[in-house]
Amino acid sequence: MRLRLPLFCAAVALVAACTPGTGGGGGGDGKSFEFWSFSAINQKLSVDAYKQKHPDVDVKLTEVGSSVETAQALTTALAGGKVPDLVLIQGDDLPKFVQQPQNFVDLRTLGADDIKGDYLDWVFKQSVAKDGEVLGIPTDVGGMAMVYRTDLFAAAGLPTDREAVSALWPTWDDYIETGKRYKQQTGKAFVDNAATSVFYQAVNQVSQKYYDNNERKPVYDSNPEVRAAFDLGIKAATSGITAGQTSFETAWSAGMAQGQYATVAAPSWMLNSIRSTAPDTKGKWDIARIPGGSGNWGGSYLAIPKRAQNPQAAWNYIKEMQSPQGQLEHFGRVGALPSTPSVYKDEKLATAKDPFFSDAPTGTIYTDSLLELKPFYIGPDSATIGQEFLNSITNVEQAGGNPATAWDDAVRNIKTAIGG
Amino acid sequence: MVAALTPVRPATPPPPASGISRGLGERLSPYAYIAPFFVIFAAFGLFPFAFTFYVALFDWNPIGDQEFIGLDNFTRMLADPRFWNATRNTVSIWALSTIPQLLLALLLAHVLNNARLRFALFFRMSMLVPYVTSVAATAIVFVQLFDRDFGLLNWLLGLVGVAPVDFVQSTWGSHLLIATMVTWRWFGYTTLLYLASLQAVPRSVYEAAAMDGAGPWQQFRHITVPSLRPMIIFTVVTSTIGGLQIFTEPLLVGTGGPQSCGVVRQCQTLTLFLYEQGFGQFQFGYGSAVGVALFVMVVAIAAINYLLSTRIKADR
Repeated sequence: MRLRLPLFCAAVALVAACTPGTGGGGGGDGKSFEFWSFSAINQKLSVDAYKQKHPDVDVKLTEVGSSVETAQALTTALAGGKVPDLVLIQGDDLPKFVQQPQNFVDLRTLGADDIKGDYLDWVFKQSVAKDGEVLGIPTDVGGMAMVYRTDLFAAAGLPTDREAVSALWPTWDDYIETGKRYKQQTGKAFVDNAATSVFYQAVNQVSQKYYDNNERKPVYDSNPEVRAAFDLGIKAATSGITAGQTSFETAWSAGMAQGQYATVAAPSWMLNSIRSTAPDTKGKWDIARIPGGSGNWGGSYLAIPKRAQNPQAAWNYIKEMQSPQGQLEHFGRVGALPSTPSVYKDEKLATAKDPFFSDAPTGTIYTDSLLELKPFYIGPDSATIGQEFLNSITNVEQAGGNPATAWDDAVRNIKTAIGG
Repeated sequence: MVAALTPVRPATPPPPASGISRGLGERLSPYAYIAPFFVIFAAFGLFPFAFTFYVALFDWNPIGDQEFIGLDNFTRMLADPRFWNATRNTVSIWALSTIPQLLLALLLAHVLNNARLRFALFFRMSMLVPYVTSVAATAIVFVQLFDRDFGLLNWLLGLVGVAPVDFVQSTWGSHLLIATMVTWRWFGYTTLLYLASLQAVPRSVYEAAAMDGAGPWQQFRHITVPSLRPMIIFTVVTSTIGGLQIFTEPLLVGTGGPQSCGVVRQCQTLTLFLYEQGFGQFQFGYGSAVGVALFVMVVAIAAINYLLSTRIKADR
């Protein structure tokens, strides 16, 4: 217990900063490569499919950990350790890397311009650095939707059909009103929490978010769209309709399994975690449109570090597996929504149904939520800013924070955190 | 046979050892034996430690630029409410964990030292079970026990009509939760330290006291506590230094951002703040400055320890 921790941190800093650049892994035969991905997203299925088609290629897949842990490991590696040839970066972690493009291969040198048109334009743009360097190819997007418990809705006298339920909440205000009706009928919570399921969704439906789209300067404290989303979050938090369960915490999982709340805002990648968190609720869920109609939460990118030993092999993998057809097959395997709009009308996607969610047509629900999306610029501190807003709303929702000062508190905390 | 009886001369006779080289070898070899530790300590202990002071003077982005900014990180830190909040939390959690822990250990050691205790070995060994259990496992179990909606503790409180307490989201509640975990982990270790030094106290002292009519409380107060004094000072200091570095428990308790331990940083400790700045925000320079501040605090406490222990020696 004694001095260990500061020393340990310092040791990591030392190794990170002082080890001279040694090369990447996967040997140097130019065909095989090393791939860092997140755990629990079934990346192995796609790697195995690739290896089957290319028996001469060996892919060394490492599931580093959560998306945040993977980004941390990548940072340490870029600073001076052993880098992989290919790495998956989650959208929220991407801006920090885009600010330092010298750490990555500019994918234009490998032919990114040729395939650029395959991807949703606003998704692709997020990995383009200031001088036009292309640092990553989008692997998937989240889309947005609201999942709800049909059995609990029926018990509250609400409609259960997904079209009728979508019609209940064209706007977030309607959604909160529906929640109050539900609460009145049942006395139970309507939504898991206000911070994530209301504010975080609404703030991703804006035309301009925490930064100015053109000048790329922070405008989080003056942008009326952000303020409106924040106020919606506070309104939901103080209306008595939330269970006050922070997303992905243990009690959130327990609450989900026990039907403590009836709705959760869920992008496509969250369906998997609902399935594994509450397996006994199979068939009791359905999926409706998100209030506000469209939006996106999440999605990841594949990038090649500058010091990678086998950049060409890694690029070959990207080109094949992230092609529209490759992403469509990946959707079939794990349900991750393609970032390539040309396959959105493909039968495999359009007819996909999920029995866990009452045979909801997941493919079309989520792709529809992307079509009307307004792209906005995401800056280097967007993740920090978003976290402080979320914390401020959770403070009101769960810890008795004062709703009247919540906005000012959040803005002050952001200024402390990002300096400025 | 004759040949066999002839003493065999070594093929190459050893060179006559010169006094100088043997002396040098003998003088150097002890250093060679202890070298592995010191080489590793220099590489992974001493150098990074010194390097922290260097990094603290920079705006240091591990994958970008490193700009010398002098003492700016320190002035920023002293004006940063998050730093003072973390300092307060650290002190509060330390007080809530160390004081009950040492009192409990003192009492347990006294009981375990009783000559008439049966299965003494079993009780002594079981003290160490929390200590050898992984911190992460302990944290997961305790967080569930203290949960607002589904926790055992709130269920018990509910039986006697108390409204559910949200331990994690409240300041005192989260401190209590973390302090409980720390106490749980360390009380057995401290108990055994006390017990070991109690065993050095002759039984006859207790027997004589009992003959003179001293009850258990008087024996505890007038024999156990005074004979443990040096050990108590030692444990106060080690657990204080340990308490300044509480990290895993708040990291695992926290909600609202992985490294802030709560939405208003209600249980973020100094080490967690250091980690958040260094490895969450990638501000290595600022994180290092917090590390230096922590170092200063630890040195100050070690100095107090030194003063106290020399005074105790002088008293004898």
